[in-house]
Amino acid sequence: MPPSKGVAEPYRPSARVLRRVSVLGVAMLVIFAVLLLRLWALQVLSGTKYVNQAAANSFRTVRVQAPRGQILDRNGVPLVTNAPATSILLWPADLPKVYTTRYAELRALARLTSVPLYEIAAGIKARRAANDLVTPVTVREAAGEPMIAYLYENASQFPGVTTWRTFIRHYPYHSLAAQVLGYVGEISQTQLNGLSKQGYQPGDEIGQSGVESSYDSYLRGVAGSARMHIDAFGRPRSGLTTTAIAKPGNDLRLTIDLKLQQAAEKALQYGIHLAQANGKWAARGGAIVALDPNDGSILAMASAPTYDPSVYAGHVTLGELGRAGLTPKTAPAKNIPSLNRAVSGLYPPGSTFKPVTALAAMQEHLLSPYAYLPCTGTYSSPQDRSHRTFHNWDPNVNQAMDLPTALAYSCDTYFYRVGNEFYNLPADHGQPLQKLADAFGFGQSTGVDVGPEATGLVPTIRWRQQHFTDAVDKLWKPGDSIELAVGQGDLLVTPLQMARLYAALANGGKLVTPHVLDDVESPNGARVPVAAIPAPRQVGIDPAALQAVQKGLWDATHLPFGTSYAVFGKFPVSIAGKTGTAQKVVSLPGYLGLQNQAWWCGYGPYNSPKLVVCALIENGGYGGDVAAPAAAKVFAAYFHVAFHILGPIHSD
Amino acid sequence: MLEYAGSQHAGRRTDREEGLAIVGVLRSLDWVLLAGIAGLVAVGLWAVSGVTRFAVVGNPSYYLDRQMVYVAVGGAALVVGTFIDPDIYRRYWKPIFGATVLLIAFVFVVGHAARGSTRWISLGFFTFQPSEFGKLAFVLALAGFLADRPRDVGALGTTLRVLGLGAIPVLLVFAQPDLGTALVYLAALVAMLFVGGAPWRQLVALGSIALLLAVGVLWAGPAVGVNFLKGYQQSRLTCFVHPSYCSSADTRYNLEQSIVAVGAGQVKGRGVNNATQTRLQFLPEHGTDFVFASYSEQRGFIGASLLLALYLLVLWRALRIVSIARDFYSAIVAGGIVVALLFQIFVNVGMTMGIAPITGIPLPFVSVGGSSMIANLAAMGVLLAIYARGRAARRRR
Repeated sequence: MPPSKGVAEPYRPSARVLRRVSVLGVAMLVIFAVLLLRLWALQVLSGTKYVNQAAANSFRTVRVQAPRGQILDRNGVPLVTNAPATSILLWPADLPKVYTTRYAELRALARLTSVPLYEIAAGIKARRAANDLVTPVTVREAAGEPMIAYLYENASQFPGVTTWRTFIRHYPYHSLAAQVLGYVGEISQTQLNGLSKQGYQPGDEIGQSGVESSYDSYLRGVAGSARMHIDAFGRPRSGLTTTAIAKPGNDLRLTIDLKLQQAAEKALQYGIHLAQANGKWAARGGAIVALDPNDGSILAMASAPTYDPSVYAGHVTLGELGRAGLTPKTAPAKNIPSLNRAVSGLYPPGSTFKPVTALAAMQEHLLSPYAYLPCTGTYSSPQDRSHRTFHNWDPNVNQAMDLPTALAYSCDTYFYRVGNEFYNLPADHGQPLQKLADAFGFGQSTGVDVGPEATGLVPTIRWRQQHFTDAVDKLWKPGDSIELAVGQGDLLVTPLQMARLYAALANGGKLVTPHVLDDVESPNGARVPVAAIPAPRQVGIDPAALQAVQKGLWDATHLPFGTSYAVFGKFPVSIAGKTGTAQKVVSLPGYLGLQNQAWWCGYGPYNSPKLVVCALIENGGYGGDVAAPAAAKVFAAYFHVAFHILGPIHSD
Repeated sequence: MLEYAGSQHAGRRTDREEGLAIVGVLRSLDWVLLAGIAGLVAVGLWAVSGVTRFAVVGNPSYYLDRQMVYVAVGGAALVVGTFIDPDIYRRYWKPIFGATVLLIAFVFVVGHAARGSTRWISLGFFTFQPSEFGKLAFVLALAGFLADRPRDVGALGTTLRVLGLGAIPVLLVFAQPDLGTALVYLAALVAMLFVGGAPWRQLVALGSIALLLAVGVLWAGPAVGVNFLKGYQQSRLTCFVHPSYCSSADTRYNLEQSIVAVGAGQVKGRGVNNATQTRLQFLPEHGTDFVFASYSEQRGFIGASLLLALYLLVLWRALRIVSIARDFYSAIVAGGIVVALLFQIFVNVGMTMGIAPITGIPLPFVSVGGSSMIANLAAMGVLLAIYARGRAARRRR
């Protein structure tokens, strides 16, 4: 190998090259100084900040919903319990960053869970809008086993999706007392705005109606929290570590009696079927209230039609809600099953209101209980310039009656005359009938703890002036007083308000506050203090006057001409009560016209009342025909007796 | 500039050269540099053992085992390189250059693509990355071109020609696309011109052209609708200036996760088990491109500054070799290798901390990967050979 030129010439670097080597050396030092300073700044100066960021990266805090309290009947039988379920959660922060893969994942998830993609997207959008990417979106509550199994097996295809053990509401008696119990659903934005101060958070479940709503603060308990480790793909890498234990909610004990509630719902169906058998095609709903006249505790509250609240438990779909008549679109066809007719159905009370008229008339000395007034086939007021003729339900009667007889027979013309007397009262007497109606709680909320409650309407001279624009309509006319006297015209009441009236008639004139809550019990059985129910308050009725009315109600069920004698005449327990048949303009799909609302309200035993029952069959015809037998069924269940109806029913 | 030693010693020195091959090399070895390299390799293996512990389920040492094999092969390359007279590379620079260009070009024919780039040739048991070995070969070959014209170095013609020659492999690597490695080649080329003695005005002109090119490619080009770079390259290069400018969410994500990982390491590090950024895979590519961030998370400021100190030691000893080199060729080779190494370290480490553009350059001696480890150890062998021969030549004088 010949020596090469390079080797042959010994090389010594020039000063210039040496200078350049030192320049490189300095550059090297500067570069390392920069790297080291940056390293110092990141690790030593701001290290804590990045440790927190790393932790936020890899920890997910889950809100552990507390098991909701149970709802029990007065004997401790559970009416609403919890069932374990698995829900599918989605963590928006852990979704793929690339739009196409994210979209593909969400579409696969939508198909798997059969939840519409737009629903999932809306959930994510809501979190984005709230700038909250660490609260998971519940894709589906109560997912089926195959869905969960598929998710486990294909976890890598679903970054950001986890499953979660939860509880869903379980209704062992299905539709029983559905409107009273209410249902639970995810908190809405409007609810959240009003309740966020009380610890409610997005994604929380909250009672949406019934006692679930009115006692939500007792039922919900206190949510806990748990932490889990997840990796960059949102897959859980550790079990859950509880950081705060969830406090289970308290149990509610209601005054509702399961057996009586079942009887009331059956009785309501029975009444509706009776009406339909009588050709009352529009009879498709109604309500029965049964309460204790001494303290106002409600033992049964039935409303028809009804629904099974299970449709709101777990995965809620619009389709299922629609089939149950629970969406605004489908509700009219199903006759609005979510409406609790006992507290928010408004009807004219008809003859069941006559005791109020009688009491007010006696208070004003317009009437002496045992003086006789004519009961005729028709009546027209001498003061009425329109000369309108008001008809008795029985056109062939012509007889003088005292008050108990007029009540028992439910003579309309008798009360028309009394109504006209009210019209003729001098202005300085005010409006005593309306005043007494107010005192019995009409036109206002009863204070019951199951909402939402309708207040109804007691028409007054002032109301007429404010409510109408036409000069003639603005005037209070004799007809208004006459119709009010028999519970017709503009008067509107709820079945609960009527039950409250009959409780006062039964208990000697005390107005009770109807309620369904008995007490609240903590999970370990201790009593939880709740606001006391207001004590019954005296309305201020003359006992003699009340006695005359009570006698009329007893006669109505026990004398052969009484309107519900056929039902209660031979009833083993002494029941007093009044029928009512009220005309109401009814608007149904494809129909607008007058329909008779069938009522019966009463109490028993007559001498020591324990139960008030008020039954209403919507568009059911005569009260004596359908409402009285339905109410009798409830009494029969309560007193554990059997009864039979005597021949054709004497109607009102 | 160069001293003429006379030809009468030529015959004798051949014998000495033979002797130098074994004993002489050992006698004049740069033991400090060797210790620094050994330390780097050891820290690198330590880093890999922690960083990749959870990468393969059920086999915590999967990558470590492989990396140790690469170290063994690389160590052999280092030993062989130490005993080969660098002058041989100078004599055969043309075949070396040709083979390098061919191999890099071959990638386009049988290449193995990963992450959108074709850089690898699969050999079955090993995926071979020619551009990694190409770094060393590029330096050896272009230094040969310059050493053949020792008196013309600095002439504009020589500079332009060496640039033209170097442009062939650089453009090939750029087209793979592997922007980072192409920039390493360019840095090495500029360093060789610098050490070779090219006048400042040429270097300044080169710098200006590079600046103009950068502005043109990154800003002016896209502004008028001509894109020289792939979208992700563009965004990676500009991203580090200010993260909110990042056009691609992925790039920003990588950078953010990397900075969080480095910072979370704090002084003492979080340990292998608690380093969540790495363990839970928030940090992408934590065995390769982002290995420094992962290592910093696990070992903290203490571990990271130890690694930087070892780099500084090796670079300092390597830079010294430029002035100890026996001949012009060796000096240029040493300069090229040192700057290429420095450039890779700065860009890789700086990238993980958000002070350098994000490019796919492996961290020398640490990143998981055979080609890089073997090529870097071989380059160290060349440096050791240059040092040994420079020392021996000095002793003779």
